Amino acid sequence: MTQRISKSKRFFMMNPIIQFFKFIWLSIKIMLVVAGGHGGTRKANS
Amino acid sequence: MSKIVILGAGISGHVAAAHLRRKLSKEHEVLVVSPNSNYQWIPSNIWVGIGRMKSDQILFPLPPLYKKKNINFKQALVTTFHPEGDAETESAFVKIKYVNGQQKGNTENVTYDYLINATGPKLAFDMTEGLNPGTNKAYSVCTYSHAEHAWHALDDLIQQMKQGKKAKILIGTGHAKSTCQGAAFEYILNVEQELRRHNVRDQAEVIWIANEYQLGDFGMDGVLLSYGDNIMKSSEMVEMIFEDRGIKWILGAGVNKIEDGIAHYETLDGEYKSETYDFAMLIPAFSGHGFKAFDKNNEDITEKLFKGFMLVDADYTPKPYEEWSVQDWPETYQNPSYNNIFAPGIAFAPPHAISKPRVSKNGTSISPAPPRTGMPSGITAKLVADNIIDIINGKKDLHHKGSLGNMGAACIASAGYGMTKGSGVSITTYPIVPDYNKYPNTQGRKLGKTFGEIGLAGHWLKFALHYAFIYKAKMKPFWWLIPE
Repeated sequence: MTQRISKSKRFFMMNPIIQFFKFIWLSIKIMLVVAGGHGGTRKANS
Repeated sequence: MSKIVILGAGISGHVAAAHLRRKLSKEHEVLVVSPNSNYQWIPSNIWVGIGRMKSDQILFPLPPLYKKKNINFKQALVTTFHPEGDAETESAFVKIKYVNGQQKGNTENVTYDYLINATGPKLAFDMTEGLNPGTNKAYSVCTYSHAEHAWHALDDLIQQMKQGKKAKILIGTGHAKSTCQGAAFEYILNVEQELRRHNVRDQAEVIWIANEYQLGDFGMDGVLLSYGDNIMKSSEMVEMIFEDRGIKWILGAGVNKIEDGIAHYETLDGEYKSETYDFAMLIPAFSGHGFKAFDKNNEDITEKLFKGFMLVDADYTPKPYEEWSVQDWPETYQNPSYNNIFAPGIAFAPPHAISKPRVSKNGTSISPAPPRTGMPSGITAKLVADNIIDIINGKKDLHHKGSLGNMGAACIASAGYGMTKGSGVSITTYPIVPDYNKYPNTQGRKLGKTFGEIGLAGHWLKFALHYAFIYKAKMKPFWWLIPE
């Protein structure tokens, strides 16, 4: 096992308070990407 | 009045049925034909496979819901397609065979005005010799029953490890052309965390085996993503996670035979190797169902409808990897020969892979097939439903389009279960199929929309999505406000 994630980073990843805000941020960001629309590719590129 | 027949009640079929029923008046008939009478939220199979969820938490019976919502349902499987009818039946129809109840074994011709083929993939375990869930110590998490079975075997092994047994656990792809590396990725991280939770991690060697050329390919040729302030490749991110968790890996491996506790595989270098294990979870190849189609004179016209999976508005011209284009991918999922047949979700034939194809020195193709995930399945099913509604309402063109080359997807990969100890790897990709013309400097993806995150929030998000999507699937109040 090689430690590739530092202790401070791990604390950030697993701290419930920090992660609560990350959860809100992630939810909004993912919503924007996924629900932000989709379409074709042919007409736009022709 | 129109009759819309939907084959399959998975994510794609159910989404299409739900939207059609909500938006069409009751004079139009919506009929779902599926051999499985349960709806299952497949992404949570991972948690069934580690014993942290029960099957009944991820599924519910469809007939009562469909009865309440005025959606007709037949528990049957489709056997043949007749898009022109036949000598006796003028309308297009599919022949179905009932699989349950008093009508079990009976066949029926089901006519339609519009057909949505949402039959998904066949889990082609038979393409790998000896790979059959529950035999040779190899398991699957592709269905809830497979996942339950896998958990029982893993639990047995954990109990043996508590008595001092050393064990080797092998997780990944079980065929040279498998896809769904993401599911195996989730499972290996969850299993690894469960081993730690049971204090037996030190006694286990955990190995990832995959047909990927690099870690983090996921059948999408990998992604370049933003991670915090950094820009990194998905291969680097997965390598970081695996090394941190002590997971070893074997790449470019085309598993071709499974014996009791032994996986035989071929490498891209052309070597034939084997790996022993005490427990394996290997994703099989996916294939079409081998459906046949016939014209009015009962002549075989299968090639007009199927190329393994169903043919749609993609460019299927064979071409080398360098000439692959995002424009090859379908936009409306409409069959080119019969414009009242659609195949959203996993049922459509992709024009080609997304990952660069690679061939071993022996000529064996070893590289991932395109990923087939729930989010695009739902989105494409909804747009097909919307186009059918438009046609019924008199519109001639298909206005709703959704190419995988112009659509984002979120892969919230569970990396361990638990409200305080859990973790998730959230990777959002836009677009799913890289557009190298539009985003030439970022490996075909838009960086701001292609990002990765690791942490407890990812687990909460996957957990929240589990409940949100089951709520949506149950068509509870305002379900349509939850996006696909």
